[in-house]
Amino acid sequence: MVSTANQGDRRCATNLIRLLLVTFAVLLTFLHNRALADNSAVDTSSVVSASITPLAPPTSLVVSDHVYDNAERLDLVWVPSIDDKLIASKLIEYRVYRITDSGDGQRIAVLPAGANSFSDENVESGHQYSYYITSVGADSEFPSISSEPIEPEREWLNYHLISLLLICMIIGVAITYFIETARRGKKLFIRRIAGLEAIDDAVGRATEMGRPILFIPGIQDMDDVGTVAGVTILGRVCRVVAEFDTKISVPTSRSLVMTAARETIKTAYQTAGRPDKYSDDMSNYITDEQFGYVAAVNGIMVREKPATCFYMGTFYAESLLLAETGNSVGAIQIAGTSNPMQIPFFVVACDFTLIGEELFAASAYLSSEPKQLGSLKGQDLGKAIALTAITIGVIAATGSSAWHIGWMQDILNALESIFLTR
Amino acid sequence: MSTEFGVWVAALMTIGLFSFLYKDNPFFKVCEAVFIGSSTGYWAVVYFFDNLQKKLWEGIFPPDGAVGDAWLWGGAILGILMLCRLSNKIGWIARWPVSFIVGATAGLYMINYFVSSAMMQVASTMQSLVVTNGGGIDWQATIGSVVVAVAVVSGLIYFFFSKEHTGAFGGVAKVGIWFLMITFGASFGYTVMSRMSLLIGRMDYLFGDWLGMIR
Amino acid sequence: MKREIPLIITFSVGVLLILSVFIPPTEHWGETFSLFFDIIAVFAFFLGGGNLVRTHISKLSGKKAGWVYSAVTLAAFFFMLAAGLFKIANIGGIGAPVTENGSLFQESFNYVMNPLGATMYALLAFFIASASYRAFRAKNREATILLVAAFIILLGRTPLGVAVTSWIPDSWDIFQIPNMAIWIMNSPNLAGQRAILIGIGLGVASMSLRVILGIERTYLGEDKG
Repeated sequence: MVSTANQGDRRCATNLIRLLLVTFAVLLTFLHNRALADNSAVDTSSVVSASITPLAPPTSLVVSDHVYDNAERLDLVWVPSIDDKLIASKLIEYRVYRITDSGDGQRIAVLPAGANSFSDENVESGHQYSYYITSVGADSEFPSISSEPIEPEREWLNYHLISLLLICMIIGVAITYFIETARRGKKLFIRRIAGLEAIDDAVGRATEMGRPILFIPGIQDMDDVGTVAGVTILGRVCRVVAEFDTKISVPTSRSLVMTAARETIKTAYQTAGRPDKYSDDMSNYITDEQFGYVAAVNGIMVREKPATCFYMGTFYAESLLLAETGNSVGAIQIAGTSNPMQIPFFVVACDFTLIGEELFAASAYLSSEPKQLGSLKGQDLGKAIALTAITIGVIAATGSSAWHIGWMQDILNALESIFLTR
Repeated sequence: MSTEFGVWVAALMTIGLFSFLYKDNPFFKVCEAVFIGSSTGYWAVVYFFDNLQKKLWEGIFPPDGAVGDAWLWGGAILGILMLCRLSNKIGWIARWPVSFIVGATAGLYMINYFVSSAMMQVASTMQSLVVTNGGGIDWQATIGSVVVAVAVVSGLIYFFFSKEHTGAFGGVAKVGIWFLMITFGASFGYTVMSRMSLLIGRMDYLFGDWLGMIR
Repeated sequence: MKREIPLIITFSVGVLLILSVFIPPTEHWGETFSLFFDIIAVFAFFLGGGNLVRTHISKLSGKKAGWVYSAVTLAAFFFMLAAGLFKIANIGGIGAPVTENGSLFQESFNYVMNPLGATMYALLAFFIASASYRAFRAKNREATILLVAAFIILLGRTPLGVAVTSWIPDSWDIFQIPNMAIWIMNSPNLAGQRAILIGIGLGVASMSLRVILGIERTYLGEDKG
């Protein structure tokens, strides 16, 4: 039998041990929660730490620098929470948090359930960024492990576009080569383009009939390539107009085009030795409004009854309105536009139509200068490269698709990677 | 019949412009004059508030106190140089902003057009001539694929400048122009119905909103 | 220097914007150019709008032919200008957006400009009919091809086109007009558009190079390259 004193001592020791264990457990819990709070560095007001519904966080978060940019983008990918897939509607959304230079976490995005990637485009070089993603349920939010800090990097050359750069350089060098060759006196053959050959006759017709010429340089502004092409053709046409001493009218839909057109017409008259015949009223601004401009031009056509109408530039729906009205007054019409949707209307309604690239070749063609004609040869080289690539590509695609020839698939992949640069 | 003043104005303007189909007349001329004047005034206001105030002024001096974009002063200077055109003596300076715009347009669109119009179209054309469907050849799709390849190649050959369209080359170019004519006819036919619907819209306004004959 | 400076500007700006495509830190230069252009366009508008006002005032004061219409043009212009700049009848006052609903400016747009624009657009229905009539008198092989293609596409989008060839069995359904129309749009039409676009891409590149290198100068009022 144990003595009472011993029993009392044993009871005391047991209680002491129990007290120590409880104290240790409390201390451990406190320290664990503290550690959680420190690691997540979270704005605790936004995270419900007392989780009611446990939710698995996303895992395998990887943050990488987006290549070939100006240090302005970081790409995040992660494996979605397992609760996202297993239990429908348990996970409502993901929230993306960013820590800048070891500061506080800032929520930067909310993504729907199922999301597994995000791009942060509000970053700058010179700063370190780390991220964590939280799984958000109806009453809880659980964070992933934070990513390692990363600084976005700036690349000075976009290597994705190397093939584009090389092709541009080849064509650029070819154009320059042909220009130089032509400058040295080599004769270059350029096939006849009916619409451009007809310009002299069209201007002559207007002179004989004593009726004016109408030139429409499109309805866009000088920041459009079609308009630039139209204004350059205007210069060539005006040289002939000045020699024939025919009246020309160039109503414009943009003020800047009016300014450029006036400079062009003035120089043409000076070159033709008739500077006194030039007047600023040859080119007037009408209105920026597309159909207001068309209404005005239609009015000019039916009142002044031009003998010849030129439509050279960028046109949209008004192309048929202009061409049909010109037809109704009996004008000879020569058109050119780069908008493939409007070419059919000009083809139907006009006497001559420049199709697509013929508009951009027109100025060089009309100048007859060897340097300019040399650039047309360069264009042809580009077409030859395109034809070759298409032929090889079609053969490779057929071989790989129909007969599963492996090396043909490789050729096709290589060609596609060259021509599909973006 | 509508009693709204605005609807009456719109309806009368509509009829005025439609009268052009008969012939040029004073009613059409008035509507044309109103259109030109009001649209020019409209764009003047839009340019003032959107470009001058918002883009230039608020770009340089942001209303929220943020740091402005000093580069915009360059645009303002070029714009002021544009106004030199008003003077005979220094009017030649106005060429500088024009050359800036044309140079920038050429540089910017050279690559953009080349990629989207040329390179991507070449890549899209690299398709198999033979199209299979569950083991067998899909003849309809195969014929379509062959037609696409032939049409693109012959169309490109048509556009060649440095060779005369004679002999075999001329024959292929001829096939090319035929395919281009199909393209133009298809675009033309496709657009006819949509143009008719525009007219229906206007008739709906006149007979419905204005005269109240259509409910 | 009068001739050289514009060419130097064109060359420098053109080359810089070409290079900006390949150099990531300069990729935004295209957007900056757009902003510059919008600002320059405003100043250019002073020239164009001023020219418009000057022309019509000259007609009005000289009582030249059509001076009444010049008066109408000027009245409409100043009316719209005043309505917009002074935000007349704008519920939000002078600080509100100019296109506020109920303002005189917005109402004028809704009841004058909009209907006028829509009506001009609607005129296309009549013009396309007259153009079709002329086009369908096919005079040569190319015109015949265009006519046939247009006709098939046009019919294919109408109930008549469906009815005309509905008797063709399904095994030969490609010869039904709606299916022929779809095939034409997806094959030869697509191919033709591609050929045109490839040419345009090369044409723009060539013309841009001529402009940047100063070979093409007509837009500047220069004669020879």
